[in-house]
Amino acid sequence: MTLLLLLPALALAAAVFLWPLLRYGWLSLQAHSVLTALVPVPNGGANWQRLLADGRFWQDAAQTLRFAGLSVGLELLLGLSLALLLHRPLPRRGLVRAVVLLPWALPTTVMALGWRWILNDPFGPLNGLLRSLGLPAYGFLSEPRSTWLFTVLADVWKTTPFVALLLLAGLQAIPAELEEALRLEGANAWQRLQRLTLPLLAPYMLLAALFRLAQALGVFDLIQVLTGGGPASSTESLALYAYLNAMRFLDFGYAATVMLGMFALVLGLSALVLVGQAMRRRWAAAGLTP
Amino acid sequence: MSHTAGLHCEQLTRRVGERCLLDRLNLAVEPGESLALLGPSGCGKTTTLRLLAGLDPASGGRIRLDGDDITTRPAGQRQVAMVFQSYALYPHLSVVANLELGLEVRGVPAAERRRRIAEVLALLQLEGLELRRPAQLSGGQRQRVALARALLRQPRLMLLDEPMSNLDAQLRDQLRPELRALLQRAGHPVIHVTHDQQEAMGLADRIAVLDGGVLQQVGTPQELYHRPANLFVARFLGRPGINLLRPEAGVQRAVRPEHLQLVPDGGLPVRLQQREWQGAQQLLRLESDLGLLLLLCDAAQPLGDALQVQWRAEDELRFDGSSGQRLE
Amino acid sequence: MSRTSLPLLLAALGWSLMPLLWQLLTSLRTAEALVLQGAGAWLQGWTLDNYRLVLQGDPPFWRYLLNSSLVGAASTGLTLLLAIPAAYGLQRQRPALRGALSLALLAAAMFPYVLLFLALLELARALGWGNQLLALALPYAGLSLPLAVLLLRAAFADLPEELEDAARLEGLNLWQRLRRVLLPLLAPAIASTAILVFLFSWNEYPIALTWISRADLLTLPVAMARIAGSSVYAVPYGAFAAATVLGALPLLALVLVFQRQIVSGLTQGAVKG
Repeated sequence: MTLLLLLPALALAAAVFLWPLLRYGWLSLQAHSVLTALVPVPNGGANWQRLLADGRFWQDAAQTLRFAGLSVGLELLLGLSLALLLHRPLPRRGLVRAVVLLPWALPTTVMALGWRWILNDPFGPLNGLLRSLGLPAYGFLSEPRSTWLFTVLADVWKTTPFVALLLLAGLQAIPAELEEALRLEGANAWQRLQRLTLPLLAPYMLLAALFRLAQALGVFDLIQVLTGGGPASSTESLALYAYLNAMRFLDFGYAATVMLGMFALVLGLSALVLVGQAMRRRWAAAGLTP
Repeated sequence: MSHTAGLHCEQLTRRVGERCLLDRLNLAVEPGESLALLGPSGCGKTTTLRLLAGLDPASGGRIRLDGDDITTRPAGQRQVAMVFQSYALYPHLSVVANLELGLEVRGVPAAERRRRIAEVLALLQLEGLELRRPAQLSGGQRQRVALARALLRQPRLMLLDEPMSNLDAQLRDQLRPELRALLQRAGHPVIHVTHDQQEAMGLADRIAVLDGGVLQQVGTPQELYHRPANLFVARFLGRPGINLLRPEAGVQRAVRPEHLQLVPDGGLPVRLQQREWQGAQQLLRLESDLGLLLLLCDAAQPLGDALQVQWRAEDELRFDGSSGQRLE
Repeated sequence: MSRTSLPLLLAALGWSLMPLLWQLLTSLRTAEALVLQGAGAWLQGWTLDNYRLVLQGDPPFWRYLLNSSLVGAASTGLTLLLAIPAAYGLQRQRPALRGALSLALLAAAMFPYVLLFLALLELARALGWGNQLLALALPYAGLSLPLAVLLLRAAFADLPEELEDAARLEGLNLWQRLRRVLLPLLAPAIASTAILVFLFSWNEYPIALTWISRADLLTLPVAMARIAGSSVYAVPYGAFAAATVLGALPLLALVLVFQRQIVSGLTQGAVKG
């Protein structure tokens, strides 16, 4: 009977998560675009063949992967430092946490506009800073080879608080006695971090990494507003490409295919991370330290 | 049979998966009688309580309360009240609100509610605490609020789950007689669960000993103590525990520590291992050919060098070596 | 506080605040002042015109905030309505089923939902929900449910079992138990969950972008994106900055007021998840 209580929520969640995937599966086997007068026509695996040969798709996949990789890596690092900082007794703790949380609470598109100005060449404040130091102005958002780094900057700014909070939860779960016991044995702060904190924090770091990886691979809002995918499609993400196929090129069959390709990527990478973690744990248990 | 007052359990059983938590329990409790379910953890006593309350479904058997078959009736409709081990007071409500919630939900009009609550507050000496939250009450006060809530249910059966375990030892000794008097006055059958034999003996008219889901024996404390049905009951009751002599010819003999007497000669030679002074009494740990013996005697009893013990034949209990049943 | 903490703390606070403070600064500058360089530029060119421009736009800026608030409230309400009984039900299941469902919900919570927009858009068009503001509450609730159910289930698990048993014996039915005993005790967890759902719906972009095209129905993120894409040649960054500040203000207020609930919601979720 209590199972009935679950039904409405599970039904809505299934409709929102599972139905699209099934629909994409069907759509990816159709030609459904302006060329077919917006009527779906089965075309076998043609969309998939196109995907495999689509240079832009693979280019975007590589770009998305490097974006996600650097982003998540930096967020874990900075998030850990922030969490360690917040874990100590601080004055006006509530205010500090509110300020630290702020970037995460703001909608991406709102701040993306702000970043466009901050990174503006030549009038933005960052270039102003460079000028005052005697350095030449830089086209942060116009140099095809480096623009992606600044999208990472904007993303890290926004989501580090989220990672920091997850890791803070993990820090708070470590009993204080363990740390005190180590301190009595003469371990300094760095050793305590290495031997006690990091190992106990590992599950939280894994959780944060998986969460952020999946979401970073789906980056859309930031790219669309900050760079529009440019310059020269150097920051275009897979999600943006899928969006363009659907809304601008009106090629729904192919858009669905791209999205399933993305889904496979997310799934594959998450599985990789989990397997890697499981293997590391197996090795550690067998006595081989990582 | 079905029109008698009080509680009657017939072949009450509860099975969960492979495990049998309670095996065909037969028990009868008269109105006004207080019965203790006593046994080690996992023996089925809490299971029985929850079955009687209706919190868990029975796998077999019947429960009859005042002639009424309540076996399948939902918990809220059995007119059974229970005091939980943690008291389970609603933490977000004041004492009065805690007491009032059930009455309100059952449709008792406001004026009547106020009257009954005032009555029970006076009975349990809780006046002055009406607006306090449970967190602001002492252990003993919380117990009384839980009792008040149970009494307001006007139950046909009162269940108590380890009522004393959350209180410290001194408070327990103080409250035990009060609790007993209160429950007797209430007039309906009372069943309480405990693993503490002292509590069982102090609060109950009769004790039912359970082990592994099976009823071992039911009777007055004296019956269980002096004429235990089997070895388990004999060992469970009595502190310090009964002495088990070395078994011979398939018979297990046992003597209680207070029945051992120190004699100058003609008895079993023993060697003093340790001596524990307990105020009015002393407990001696003695080594003998028949095994380790505990002896309880007056604290002033002088102890010579060569000690010997003896006991009366009628004080010795004999059990079957394999089944554990007592032999007459 | 140790000596290393203070500068690090200030750095962390600065890192979080600087971009916003710079936007505030920019929003008060005239367009001409923004392109000036040199120290002397700071002595003049201050103005409130940017704000006037944004607030008097067509539609006025506060309209977007109102739209986001309406959708936020509707999503939060719907999510809680579905999630609370689901969390209660989930907690009462056998451990095996509970574990499997929790894992599925966790996977859904992590899912990059941008992937779903096309199919959801098709559904919206088929059902005639395009440009229906409150219809957004349905996908938003669906997307928020996994996290909400997980958080609330953990909160239910924290309540002592005997409490509900006692209420049952007193004759309270399920609805009465929830209303009078369980939910009041769950209030902090419900508040945390509600604020997280509200924040999510304020932040959501791809679905709002594709479902709503009428200017006066836009939610904040979509409106901002439109403003960002509006001019290509001029440099109306002052107005842009004013829009950013105005867009950030309500969320700033929310975070300041509900900081404790947000933090506890995320940290509890991490520990129990």
